[in-house]
Amino acid sequence: MPLKKGKWRVGRIWLLIVMLLVIGLVGFSCVRGLAPVGWSGGVVSDGTLYVGSKEGRLVAIGLDDNSRHWTEPLKASGQGGGLFGCSPAYGGGCGGGASGVAIYGTPVVMGDRVYIAGYNGKVYSYDYSSLQMDDIYPPEGNLEPIVGGIVIDQGMLYFGASDGMFYALDADNLIWKWEFETGDRIWATPAVSEGTIYIGSFDKKLYALDAADGRKKWEFETEGAIVSEPLVSDGTVYIGSFDRHMYAINAYNGSLKWKYKAENWFWAKPLIYNGTVYAGCLDDKVYALKADTGDKLTEFDMGSPVSSSLVLFDSKVIVASRDGVVHAIDTVENRVKKLAEIEEEIYGPLCIGDGTVYVHTQDLTLHRINATTGAIGTVSLKSGE
Amino acid sequence: MNVWELIIQQPVINVLIVMSHYLGGSFGLAIIALTIIVNLLMLKLTLNQIRSTKAMQDLQPRLAEIQKKYGKDRQKLAQEQMRLYKESGVKPAGCAITMLIQMPVWIALYQSIMLTLAIAPEGLLNLSKYLYSWPILYEALPLSRSFIGLDLAERNFILAILVGATMWLQQKMSMTTSGDSKQAQQSQMMLWMMPMMFTLLALSFPSGLALFWVASSVVRIVMQYRISGWGGIRRGAGQEPDKDKRYVKLISSEEDKSVDDVGADIVITDKQQKPGKMRYLPGQDRAQRRRKK
Repeated sequence: MPLKKGKWRVGRIWLLIVMLLVIGLVGFSCVRGLAPVGWSGGVVSDGTLYVGSKEGRLVAIGLDDNSRHWTEPLKASGQGGGLFGCSPAYGGGCGGGASGVAIYGTPVVMGDRVYIAGYNGKVYSYDYSSLQMDDIYPPEGNLEPIVGGIVIDQGMLYFGASDGMFYALDADNLIWKWEFETGDRIWATPAVSEGTIYIGSFDKKLYALDAADGRKKWEFETEGAIVSEPLVSDGTVYIGSFDRHMYAINAYNGSLKWKYKAENWFWAKPLIYNGTVYAGCLDDKVYALKADTGDKLTEFDMGSPVSSSLVLFDSKVIVASRDGVVHAIDTVENRVKKLAEIEEEIYGPLCIGDGTVYVHTQDLTLHRINATTGAIGTVSLKSGE
Repeated sequence: MNVWELIIQQPVINVLIVMSHYLGGSFGLAIIALTIIVNLLMLKLTLNQIRSTKAMQDLQPRLAEIQKKYGKDRQKLAQEQMRLYKESGVKPAGCAITMLIQMPVWIALYQSIMLTLAIAPEGLLNLSKYLYSWPILYEALPLSRSFIGLDLAERNFILAILVGATMWLQQKMSMTTSGDSKQAQQSQMMLWMMPMMFTLLALSFPSGLALFWVASSVVRIVMQYRISGWGGIRRGAGQEPDKDKRYVKLISSEEDKSVDDVGADIVITDKQQKPGKMRYLPGQDRAQRRRKK
């Protein structure tokens, strides 16, 4: 039956095309950053590390015995994840198996409470020891996704959201105090110093706001979006921008002190030590710049983009590059060496406590790296394990 | 970066961002413009595919006739079919092969759009590795997601319906008629299955992707119309005689054929014809008819 054979061959080709198309569409979409997964860093307090997991839970890990406690998972904003669970804005991603609300910001411990913000557009406070939820903001409905972390100062809690609004809440009961509107999404974590809040926005501006009432003190415009958390030190705000510049700005009047151009975006919060600013960049390098002039002292090639914030241990700057390598920069000899290597990409900020560097990777694992020897241990963040 | 990313994705992403910048920061316009440009670049392939489909469509009555005539003699049937394909210059798998060639391009375009949309923070972070060192790229990102009241990062029901509708229209226009009930059934299934599937996909993915699908379908509709008019739509609207009558009409006389059927460019007669006259000449017959009118 040559005719039928021919027809069925064409039919099979069509079906093959359809199948390939579906596989291509579904497969590629979920692994290429369409679905939010989260990269919460950890915070150590009284021998316990708190971190937001990919399952959308706040996890408390006893550092002595690796005991773990989980909160109930955060609830998605009510909208489904679409046919394939790949819809973007709800926090219930499909990439990698977990389906919880993504958590990007690092938890904050203040008094007897732990605070965390989710990609579902809500801020939560939990009891420090029991991990029972105390308060939630907003009590009804959801804000736009929250990507940046929260900061708490003088009893006030501050954070920005993807609707471009910057919010101030009473940290005791998560009651709204004031808000400030920027021109675009806020994904950055704010910094607070001497009664002033510093926050960057996608509208390319860095804002200095009065912490008490949200009044704008000044704004500084760069030529690219700002995602990185500002570093405030000695009357200077250090901030990186998508225009590939690291800026040093007078914290009191918003005037430019200096700027340094790299080859790609600055995403990570810089670190200052001994009059030198260490700035990790997505061009695979960490730049060592003189804090007062912006002159480049040296640069360190990490071999992969640096998006996680740096930490300091003794006189060493610990840096994690995307490819899973943790490096230690000797600030005395200006040399870099590989401290440890894990087989997962590193996006989130590093955390240090008691000589151990904690790295949270997107495979629901917390890696404990000895900052001196580089010895690695792991703790699973998967609930029930 | 692997070869695929380096050769295909990276250039497309950078072009999308630059276009978006020069189109007033509108990523929606950039998607539409790039869809049109890619279609123009693949015009020859697309036209070949459409022509191939149309030629196959036009051959169906003759194929049915051959099958009717030589149905019992398989060898003769195969010979006659091959002869017909050869004479009319049609390659049966031509349209499918063309689609297979085009598919990687569409997948690359799709991937690039999704990457450039950078919906999740991970997406934006990953996007940085694809950027050339042109200053304009760094300042343009992240792109604005709003387009004529739509958030390109969110799903949109209306756009999803449009995806299905335009895809159905385009498929219907290019649909071949078949005397074989199995093949007709398969064509009918494809006519509904593809649009429905893409509508469901559009309901699940950001509307930026749905916009790309709608733009692609509209471009294809325009091309299809330029080549074969409304094709299957016109036939579906009752302007096609029923199957049995058509065969009778097509083999009766030249005068009765090709009068009311825009797609009937191949003239089939009982008379012996030179192979050259049997060849499908896209556009020419339609142009002649227009002149007559």
